Amino acid sequence: MPPEPPQNGEYLVAAYVITTVILTGYWVALWRRGKAIVSGKGKT
Amino acid sequence: MTGSSAQAAGVVQRGLVLSAIGLLALGGVYVLALGYTPVEVRQGLAQKIFYLHVPAAWSALLSFSLVGIASALYLWLKDPRLDRFAAASAEVGVVFSAIMLTTGPIWAKPIWGTWWTWDARLTLTLFVFFLFIGYLGLRAAVHDPAERARFSAVVGILGMLLVPFIHLSVYLFRTLHPQPIVLKPSAPSLPPEMLTTLLVSTLVFTLLYLGFVTARYGLALADEAREEARDAA
Repeated sequence: MPPEPPQNGEYLVAAYVITTVILTGYWVALWRRGKAIVSGKGKT
Repeated sequence: MTGSSAQAAGVVQRGLVLSAIGLLALGGVYVLALGYTPVEVRQGLAQKIFYLHVPAAWSALLSFSLVGIASALYLWLKDPRLDRFAAASAEVGVVFSAIMLTTGPIWAKPIWGTWWTWDARLTLTLFVFFLFIGYLGLRAAVHDPAERARFSAVVGILGMLLVPFIHLSVYLFRTLHPQPIVLKPSAPSLPPEMLTTLLVSTLVFTLLYLGFVTARYGLALADEAREEARDAA
């Protein structure tokens, strides 16, 4: 019988959540800086 | 808004649309990784971190290599577009490095039994990450555009020189980090489902890189347009 894989799904979830947060967060930061250009406010 | 600012806003918008498509496609990568690829018997579900960690590393090293190439070309041609591109690519590279440096330890803990080890590849990667944070700090500290571009080009080239060492470090030094399974002299050693998902994820991360760099380039363009308008006033 093949061995059971180890139970470590929590690490998978942590990595996927962190990646999503970093990439989405950076996208939002760029979007906010872009919005500042259109409104002509401050340094981007 | 001036003509240059409007042009910059258009570039930012194109970059944001491209990276938004990339973010949506990333959802598709998650579906592929979780539903299509098999669970690796020895590593369990944690092995699926591979589909984010490796493409993030690819994008980070691509970013830093292109910073170096653009910087060298800037020193030769003195074209400000090259400096603007290098700055954009460096910032995006730091973002992808942050993903590489967080997903790596999260994957290492259940497999190696430790979050971190000071071996050659990990240490060099952390060093390059700090080097490019320094690059961004240098750019923020120097106000004269020509000086800023020249100083940061030198740092950018030095950063790029470390990239081949990171790739080859697993061959040159004793390390816990596994050797390449795709970018190696012989054929990739992965089951087809894993290889397909890895290649799709790499394409999506490359699309995100292009979108982010385009948006960041547009922001730099807008800053310059504003500075020019202020100087002219």
